[in-house]
Amino acid sequence: MVEDDREDRPPSARRRRQLWLLLVVLVGALLVMLVWLAGRYEASQVQDRLERDTADAVADIRAALTRNVQSFQALHFNEPTPGAWAQEAIGLLREHRELVRIEWRDLQLGLKSHADTPFRSPVFARLGRENAQSDVIQACSTARRYSGPAYSNSYFVSLSDGLGMEVVEVCLPLVTAGKITGYVVASYSLQEALDELLGRQLTRSQEVSFTEADGTRLAVRGAGPRGNRVFTAQQLLDLPGITFILRMDSWRGAPDIFPNVLTALVTAMSIALISVLAILGKDMRRRLRAERDLADAFAFRKAMEDSLVTGLRARDLHGQTTYVNPAFCQMVGFSAEELLRQDAAAPYWPPELLDEYQRRQAIRLAGSVPPREGFESVFMRKNGSLFPVLIIEAPLINAQGVQTGWMSAFLDISEQRRVEELSRASQERLQATARLATVGEMASLLSHELNQPLAAIASYATGSMNLLKDEHESIQSLARDIEVAMRRIAEQAERAGKVIKSVHDFVRRRDQDREAVAPQALFDAVLPLVSLQARKLSVRVHTRVDDNIPRVLCDRTMVEQVLLNLARNGMQAMDLPEIVDRVLKMSVSRAAGRGQERWLAFRVEDCGPGISLEVQQQLFTPFFTTKAEGMGLGLSLCRTVIEQHGGALVFEPNLPHGTVFTFTLPALVVE
Amino acid sequence: MQPVIDACVFIVDDDAGVREALAWLLRTRRLPSQLFEGANAFQAMIEAQPLPEQPCCLLLDVRMPGTSGLALFDWLVGRGLHLAMPVIFLTGHADVPTAVDAVKRGAFDFCEKPFSDNALVDRIEQALAQSTQIVRARTEAVRLQGRLDELTERERDVMRLVVEGLPNKLIADQLDISVRTVEVHRARVFDKMEVKSAVELANLLRKI
Repeated sequence: MVEDDREDRPPSARRRRQLWLLLVVLVGALLVMLVWLAGRYEASQVQDRLERDTADAVADIRAALTRNVQSFQALHFNEPTPGAWAQEAIGLLREHRELVRIEWRDLQLGLKSHADTPFRSPVFARLGRENAQSDVIQACSTARRYSGPAYSNSYFVSLSDGLGMEVVEVCLPLVTAGKITGYVVASYSLQEALDELLGRQLTRSQEVSFTEADGTRLAVRGAGPRGNRVFTAQQLLDLPGITFILRMDSWRGAPDIFPNVLTALVTAMSIALISVLAILGKDMRRRLRAERDLADAFAFRKAMEDSLVTGLRARDLHGQTTYVNPAFCQMVGFSAEELLRQDAAAPYWPPELLDEYQRRQAIRLAGSVPPREGFESVFMRKNGSLFPVLIIEAPLINAQGVQTGWMSAFLDISEQRRVEELSRASQERLQATARLATVGEMASLLSHELNQPLAAIASYATGSMNLLKDEHESIQSLARDIEVAMRRIAEQAERAGKVIKSVHDFVRRRDQDREAVAPQALFDAVLPLVSLQARKLSVRVHTRVDDNIPRVLCDRTMVEQVLLNLARNGMQAMDLPEIVDRVLKMSVSRAAGRGQERWLAFRVEDCGPGISLEVQQQLFTPFFTTKAEGMGLGLSLCRTVIEQHGGALVFEPNLPHGTVFTFTLPALVVE
Repeated sequence: MQPVIDACVFIVDDDAGVREALAWLLRTRRLPSQLFEGANAFQAMIEAQPLPEQPCCLLLDVRMPGTSGLALFDWLVGRGLHLAMPVIFLTGHADVPTAVDAVKRGAFDFCEKPFSDNALVDRIEQALAQSTQIVRARTEAVRLQGRLDELTERERDVMRLVVEGLPNKLIADQLDISVRTVEVHRARVFDKMEVKSAVELANLLRKI
């Protein structure tokens, strides 16, 4: 599973990992290089010191040798006798342990006097001085040529104790009055020379040796190997007649990774750097994780918002739209860019309602809290069609708890409206059909009930006439038959009269249904139906009931029908494109005028175009209508109903335009 | 038109006033009538006497409680009686389409209430005339069938050949009987069928 996860990682993550790896490698390389460079630096320091020491040592040796030559010269001061010279030479040897023998030789190199070092047994005693004769001769010939001191090659003198030493001869020509009168030959032990001529501290920590040019070691002094790291410095020591190499080997300890403070410092800093990097990396990972979580949460929220059918819109405190979701865009038909553009008025506000909406926005921005259950409004789609929306607004609070704007949710309720409208229309149609069916049924029943006696009467009348025309009938039987017919006619006529009376009774029976109703209740009963149609026709409905209005005595159902009828007529009268401000006022007050104290006046006012004179004359005529699908019974029935209550239904022009229908109904008088 | 004295007008109407007024009117035109207050009573009468011998017609109210006039008419059509007993519907204004439909299905006519009564009586007489014709034809056919039933097998053979126009001699040859016997059979057929000539006999038989 883990492997799979790793493989599934996006390329960016892999690249990031590679970058991290590269950084670590680079830092590692840098650190190694720093350590190496520091070690190199230190090694070079050591090497430099060694080189300097070596150079110093060579200078010391050269100076010491020169001084010795002067000392040899000094032996011949005042033309000493060989005996005196020997005394002097022994003194010199006492002071200089590096010298093993001093000789005074004549021009032919014959030995005139000599002295051996008192610190060891005579070096040449065992093998004889003659063995060294060739080296002496070589050195003295060189000296004669240079007219100065010259050295012989080194040669090995084995000693009686089984050991031996490397010895170098030095020949100093003695010059008197420009002529060589003899030679001083001195023998140096190279081993002793290293001991005596170099500072003690030099040989303490390092090994010093004389070597020949080919690397053969002639004499060694100093500490043995004390570590496997060796620094070597070599310095040429060229003397007249001979050339040595002074070599110094300085031994260091076991491989030292952190050889000094600088390296340690660099290392420590590197470790610190790596630690910081690691911490940063960890922090970065945490950030990345948080970022990913945030992105996930954001994607989740986005998916949620996108899947909503509810439109969402956020506005800042200046009314500028800052956010819309796709559902809102789809609802109004504008793209998100168009909606977010800096504009004073939103493009989905219908132009005719712009002022009202801006007022509303101003109120909202001023901080008034909208109703929690939302409010209804009308928006315009991009194609110009209007549709009703339910708006629910809530303050937008940011993470710091400060309000930054308003969040609004929108529900397109046009479908709901359409269904309501449909159901209302079908309801009305049903009612109308039912009423018509009832009327038709009534008429059919009534005509049948009346037809029966009329048919009978007609039969008797026709029969009587037939009899009267018949000449065969006797007067007696004729009179009897006619009498029967007349009696039957009277019976049937009476029966027809009863039918008529029963119809009248049926109509009059409704008088007993009167009850006392508060006028407000009448309005409340019809308002749902009225406002449904009002919404469709964009009409605002105002109702007003005066204070202290008594209850009204009426057939509630019939009066509601009258109110409904008048309200509908008023609204339909205003359904004209040129009428913008559509207001329907329904009010009730006490009737004005003398003797009218017991009456209430109901007013239904519209601001339509009014009623033409021509129409006015026929307004209450049954079956007169100005509507395509009207039956022309509405107003005529209304007047009948009102007159049955003893009131009156009148109309007058409403100023500046429109019509007012007023009807009066009896108030309930409490004795 | 001569009144059909032995005819009978059946009146089916739930309204007694209308029923009696019509009967009274018909009496002044010397038409006997028989009254029924509902479809059921009338059906019972028909069940008891399936084939009315005399010419008759039916005045039927469309709208009645119980079995309606229309249902009764359908019942009569089902029994094939609506020709011998023409039906005239009495309707209110609202029932006119129903009545028109009934006329299309074989009713004689309909009359709207309140009616111009003598016009109704005239239509009744016309209906009775149609009924008379049908009843008479049917009576004739029944009588003829009765006479045919009286003939013997041999007489029937002779009659068939006579109607074909064969002389007695050929008939005798064909039936393998004597001419004398043919003559006897022929006389007996003429006697039983109440005809005087072969032509008359052929005419009579064509009616069947």
